Order: sequence, then structure tokens, then C-alpha cells
Amino acid sequence: MGEITVDVRDLSKQYGNFKAVDNISFTVKKGEIFGLLGPNGAGKTTTIKLLTTLSPPTSGQAFVAGYDIIKQQKEVKRNIGWVSAEIILDDDLNAWENLGLQAALQGITNWEESADTLLKYFELAEFKYKNVGKFSTGMRKKLEIAMALLNSPEVIFMDEPTIGLDVGTRKMLWDLILLIKNEYKVTVFLTTHYMDEADQLCDRIAIISHGKIIALGSPSELKQKAGGYAVSLEVNDGFDISSLKQFHILENDKNKILIEISSKDNMLDVLKSINLEKLKSINLITPSLDSVFLKLTGSTIKETEEAVDYRKFYSMVRRNTQ
Amino acid sequence: MIKETWALFIREVKKTFRNKAVVAMMVVQPIMWLVFFGSSFSHVPSSFLSSFFNTTNYIAFLLPGELAASMIFVGMFSSMSMIQDKRFGFLKRILVTKAPKESIFFGKVFGASTRGLLSIPIMMLVSLAFGVVFHWNILSLVVWILGLLLLGVGMASIYSIITMRSNDWQTPGVVSNLINLPLMFSSTALFPSTIFPGWMRDISSVNPLSFAAGLGRSFVLNTPPNFLFLLYLVIFCFLFLGIGAFLSREWLKAE
Repeated sequence: MGEITVDVRDLSKQYGNFKAVDNISFTVKKGEIFGLLGPNGAGKTTTIKLLTTLSPPTSGQAFVAGYDIIKQQKEVKRNIGWVSAEIILDDDLNAWENLGLQAALQGITNWEESADTLLKYFELAEFKYKNVGKFSTGMRKKLEIAMALLNSPEVIFMDEPTIGLDVGTRKMLWDLILLIKNEYKVTVFLTTHYMDEADQLCDRIAIISHGKIIALGSPSELKQKAGGYAVSLEVNDGFDISSLKQFHILENDKNKILIEISSKDNMLDVLKSINLEKLKSINLITPSLDSVFLKLTGSTIKETEEAVDYRKFYSMVRRNTQ
Repeated sequence: MIKETWALFIREVKKTFRNKAVVAMMVVQPIMWLVFFGSSFSHVPSSFLSSFFNTTNYIAFLLPGELAASMIFVGMFSSMSMIQDKRFGFLKRILVTKAPKESIFFGKVFGASTRGLLSIPIMMLVSLAFGVVFHWNILSLVVWILGLLLLGVGMASIYSIITMRSNDWQTPGVVSNLINLPLMFSSTALFPSTIFPGWMRDISSVNPLSFAAGLGRSFVLNTPPNFLFLLYLVIFCFLFLGIGAFLSREWLKAE
């Protein structure tokens, strides 16, 4: 560890007056799964476009696998894998031909053996000569990842890897991403707007909102920032609130009480100190990235996404009426 | 560059020839040209045909012209294929690899030109069936096919250049209607320029279609091929191939 695979310094991308990425800086360590978490329109895809050299930055610098994304684009491309949010394969070709094309474009000779190994690993070996157009979404996604790994990249960029997938396929893909990290020792840079995905997969997470990185750390660090565990109580009339005076009460509103506790086990202390006959229900609230996002931005990811959509919608309407 | 271009070219060829409807259309369309358009002079006195077309069978005159015309029509497929790759994101996939951008352009252009070459044997066979007699001068044949290839590559380059920055499905069709018909009618593809008004004869004398058709007539009518025509087509082809390669570096982008 300690070695740095992606080094981003004051990177910005502006489209007209809109700052899609606003002066972001972070580093990704070798061998980790790094997540860029944020709502749609926050600048996640733009960041990936910049780091994969698909789009030039307006200002700032970044180094991927040690190479400058502006001055050493060829070297960057040779050392990365890329999996886009939408699945991009040639549906008229079979799996083997798609792999072969990718190998030729990346200038890899003797790709057949590693391609065979990847297909076997991803349980696609029997569909080697089947047209990709007939593949299921999960299979297509797996083939895309196999293609991204073909050139033995230092880092693989995955833009919203599980967007639009069903629960089973999503779980399969999570396992696959962990496998890439553990077996292939490839650094993974992924973007997501699913809190649970970032929480379960990532070693470290950067939270991005309106093009700015507003928090960075491991999932547990970030959760701690949002505050620890809490207990919510629903009580009947006549409940003696003074029995809770040793705890930090966050909210007390019409028989609904929210208490902060330092760890899960402290829930028992709460139970011991109150009159259980007056208790209607009790709930343990575990900290989540949702609560982190809420605390940092004052809105949930869902609300932010809706706000973003309205903004887009209005600008679209305006454009059409002019 | 060569390996990447080859891989992308093979992709185009596979996509074309695996599509049965496309192959069927490529076979049927030139036949329909010869059968319907070629038969339009059937009852014209042969003295008229001889003085205007230097042959008593209009199909013998039309064959080189129609093949030249079919080479300009395939240009459209190079830009359609490019726009499809943009819309489905495949261009992005290529741009994230270390393949040079020129190879994307070359792959499209050569892929489309290959599509056009398929009609050569088919139309020659149909012509034979309609009583056209070939003298099989191999040099003339080779020069003719080379000329058609150069015309196809040049036209496909022009198409790709015009539509390189477009994302719109409709652009290739619009451009095709804009370019192809005037280019075809102002050439010697269908009629000799001797019957044209002066201004159209001027256009015809620099129209690459006329040169490709001229090379074909040397083979069909058994006259020595004009190598200046071939030279002209070489310049035409490499000029636009070069311009396209140069522009693709700037214009082929992910956004």
C-alpha cells in the first residue's frame, strides 16, 4: 500500500458556464476500491471522462498509473481499463471477436490465453462464439469487464457498474469487482449513486456534489462523521422523560424520542433505564452513508437528484421556447 | 496504426456481410439498374446507339457508369456506420484504447469501399447475360477495378469528413441526396458528354465519376486504358483520404 495509482490535483471541467467538475483533488491508492459517490449530475461521469482522457480538463492536473492525462494520453490508455455506464459492445460480433477487437486496439499480442482464462473465470467460456446481441445484461456486463482487464490494466474505471441491474445481477457484479481487486490486484475506481454499493464495496469513498468533493474517507470514517448510532423510541402518554436524563436526547417530539448512543450495546442501557410498560416501540438507527450525505448537503441523494432533474428540465424548456 | 486499422476494417466487413438483408440488397440493386434502366434504349435503332454510345448495346455503355455510381453510393455507409458507433458509444470504447484516431476513419472508409467492390462481379455477370461481349483485356480490367476502388475510397472519405462531427442519423441520407444525384448526372456514367450543354460538360470533365466510367469503357469497348484517368483518381483518392485522416485527429471526440 502507500503507492498512489491515481493522483488528481485541482482538476476542473467547465461546459459553458456550468462547472461539471469544480477543482477536485484526491488520490487513489494502489490496490484499493475507490468510490466516487454522488447523485446524478454531480460530476461523476465527467471525472471518469477526464481520467480516461476521453475529455480534456479545463484546468488542473491528474496522473493515472503515473502518467499525465494531458501530456501522456497513450500511456494512460495503455494502463487503464474502462467500463461505461451504458453497455458498449458490438452486438453483431461474438464474444471472442469482441475480445479480439479490443486486444488489437490495445495492441496486445498473445491475448488468446488470457482471454480464455477471463472467459472461464467469468463463466462465459461456453458462450465464446455466441453473438453478443443474444447475451443477457449480466453476461454483457461481465464481458465488458473481461475486455477491460485484457490489457492487464493498473486501474479499471467503472462508471455506475450496477445501474439498472436486478438485485441478483448486482450481487454477482459486486462479487466480481471484489474478485478483480483480490485476484487480479487491479485498482478499481468506480462511481455510484447507490449508498449501499459504496458502503459494501469501497475501501475509500469521495462524496461529490455539484462538482465538488465534500467528504473523503473510508465508509466507517464517513459514517462516524455523520454521528454514531441512535435509538428512536415511541412511547405512550405519561412516559417519564427524566429517566433518560443520562443520555443525549437529539429530538423529543410528541412521544417520539431520538437518543444518541455511542455504540450498539448502549441500546441495552436505554432499555434498562426506562419504564418498559410505557414503551410502544424501539428502533436502533445505524449510521449509513445516507446520513452522511444528508448531514453534509442538507438533502438526501434522492432529493438532490430530483432537484437536478428539474434544473435540466427547465433549461430544456427554455431552450425550446427561445 | 496498420493493425488497428485492419481490425476495425475487418469489423466493418463482418458487420456488412453477416447482415443477409444488406447482402441481398447489394446484389439486387445493381441488377435492377441494369435490367430496368439498361433496357430503356432497347428499341432505339442501332445506328443511333453506335453514334452516341459507340456500342450497339446500351448496357455495355451503362455497366461502367453504373458501377462507378454504385461506388459513390457506398460512401454513405461509411458515415452511417460512424454515426451508429457514436450513438451506441462504440466510438468512446475505441477512443479509450491506444488506437490512433486515424485508424477509426480508415476502417470506416475501407470497409464501405469493400462493400462496393462486391457489385463488380455481379454486374459483370448480369451484363454477360444481357449479351454484352467482353474482350478480357486483363490490364484494362485491373486498371478499371483499381479506378473503382480509388473512387470508392475517395468518396467514402468525403462522406466521412462531412459527417464526422454529426450525431444525427439523418445526416448521411441528406448528404447523400445532395451529393450523389448531381454527381451522377453531371458525369459520363449514364450518357456521353457530347450531348451535354457546355457548363455540364465542364463539370463532367473534372467529375471523378467520369474518369472511373472512362476506365471501364476501355475494358468493355476494348480500347487502351487512359492512365491519366487513373492518375487523376489516385490524386482524388489520396487527397481526401489525407484530409480525412488529418481532420479525424481533431474531430473524432467522445463528446
